[in-house]
Amino acid sequence: MYVELKNINKSFGNFKASNDVSFGIEKGKLIGLLGPSGSGKTTILRMIAGLETPDSGDIIVNDKVVNNVPASKRGIGFVFQSYALFRYMTVFDNIAFGLKIQKVPENEIKERVLELVKLTGLSGLENRYPSQLSGGQRQRVAFARALAPNPKLLLLDEPFAAIDAKVRHELRHWLKEMIAKLGVTSIFVTHDQDEAIEVADEIIIMNKGGIDQIGNPLEVYSNPKTAFVASFFGQPSIFKDYNKFRRFDPVGEVDQVIVRPEFVKVTKKTETQKYQNSAEEGVVTDVAFRGTGLELTILVNGENITARRRFDQAPIEVGEKVDVFIYRIFATAGDKVYPLENQSLREPVVVI
Amino acid sequence: MNKETTSSKVTKWVLISISFIFIALMLLLPLITVIIEAFKQGWDVYKQAVVDDYTVHAVLLTVEATVFAVIINTVFGLSAAWSLTKFNFKGKKILTTLIDLPVTVSPIIAGLIFLLTFGRQSPLFPILQDLDIKIVFAVPGIVLATIFVTFPFISRELIPVLESRGNDEEEAAALMGAGGFTIFRKVTFPHIKWAFLYGVVLCTARAMGEFGAVSVLSGHLRGKTNTLPLHVEILFNEFQYVPAFAVASILVVMAIIILILRSVIEYTGMRKSNVR
Repeated sequence: MYVELKNINKSFGNFKASNDVSFGIEKGKLIGLLGPSGSGKTTILRMIAGLETPDSGDIIVNDKVVNNVPASKRGIGFVFQSYALFRYMTVFDNIAFGLKIQKVPENEIKERVLELVKLTGLSGLENRYPSQLSGGQRQRVAFARALAPNPKLLLLDEPFAAIDAKVRHELRHWLKEMIAKLGVTSIFVTHDQDEAIEVADEIIIMNKGGIDQIGNPLEVYSNPKTAFVASFFGQPSIFKDYNKFRRFDPVGEVDQVIVRPEFVKVTKKTETQKYQNSAEEGVVTDVAFRGTGLELTILVNGENITARRRFDQAPIEVGEKVDVFIYRIFATAGDKVYPLENQSLREPVVVI
Repeated sequence: MNKETTSSKVTKWVLISISFIFIALMLLLPLITVIIEAFKQGWDVYKQAVVDDYTVHAVLLTVEATVFAVIINTVFGLSAAWSLTKFNFKGKKILTTLIDLPVTVSPIIAGLIFLLTFGRQSPLFPILQDLDIKIVFAVPGIVLATIFVTFPFISRELIPVLESRGNDEEEAAALMGAGGFTIFRKVTFPHIKWAFLYGVVLCTARAMGEFGAVSVLSGHLRGKTNTLPLHVEILFNEFQYVPAFAVASILVVMAIIILILRSVIEYTGMRKSNVR
């Protein structure tokens, strides 16, 4: 393990920001620290960087306990959510700042800065001030500045939060590639599940100061270990009683049932439903345009279920009666999650 | 043109006229009077009053007190603004409130406070006498009084600027290993530069014109503890009107220079912050 946290606790007054947090990160990995606001992810990042001190527990970087090592000696690059670019310095001076502090010879600084400027696609902007750059460009400068002193560990706090949707998408891929190319161990904080799934090699999901689950994106998505994780991904419909839907294995008392839109198949009455026998009838109560498709809200057995439909499928209108087949649900009891599959999927299908 | 825009036009011109008439009556007229009175008996009398030994001494003392006040208040203002915006500590509220005290307290009272603290009745007086330190009715008293009345000016300009920008840049610089002084010089100061200079100008202007507190502490010893405003008062009380106005005109000129400086700083600061 390159970075290791052992039983970290941290409180701000009465607020417990970190509750017995432990995890390890392998060298060269890109880790997404995912959680809703207030879940304590930024605090973890700031403690690794040395901007906050844990109340108890050890932070280990490269086999050394760094609790008492000052932030500036930890060899960490940090990209702030607001970028925190020095607004009275040019792009060049911003990137060169760390090297100048380390008293690197002038010609080496120049070489390194120009190399980074080229790498981050900022050529020609060296003499601009941060206020003369677009959001995406500022993000690249912040990234280049953090990388300039060759950090062993790169920390990014909500790196894409302040960028508009289209550029954000491009930057995600760019950042993932860039970090893979440089091989620097990186941790980024995000509250955006799509971002974490798209970018991270591994996701650490935080909730209320503690860690709920650690795993690769596919794992945490398809096998949530806690009720929180199960409900955090997608735009799930949540309701109380799974007995309302037929053909799911009984698991006893449950607190809630989570249905993700991607696990719901909607068919018009005129279309063929593969699992006709176990489909339920519902009434469409809302149709919303979602850019990539339609989002349908369907009232089935007294519960509103969200489902998606592509544009190339026949349109559905509000008030229409449709068949709804649910492939999979997550039933949660306490902190346990039971992924339940529709029994029909296991039976031989008879197509009439 | 409809009714509404006509009436708002009228309002506009009425307000503008009121402002101009007010300024003309309250500011320009007295200023012009000062200049006219000063030159009433011609250039020679004016010159004589200005190059008079006592006047020259008063000018020098005023400059001395101003320089001390500005230097000390710069140090104090920067530390106060810095500590109030960057740290959380007990007594922060009290400090914030106390900074404003000199503006709210009458200067005469400020003078009296110092007189009672350092004068003959004070328990401190014997100690000061043993150490051969004279404060009351001496130059240190004047400097002290000037510092007191001007000390909020610089910190008051800096606090809003520092508050509005947060600590991110400083944190980023510290993470890269920059020391406190480097951070201040390279990251913080460029940002507060214009507000700081503006504060210095205001502090200077106020220090030069200070009358009340200084009047109590100075003792009006001509050629020793007389600042320009006090000198004007003495001359005036002695019915030497022309010299009084002549000396007053020196203060006016100094004030105008400060005003020009202020406008330049404001203009430059605004342009710079627009670009960046």
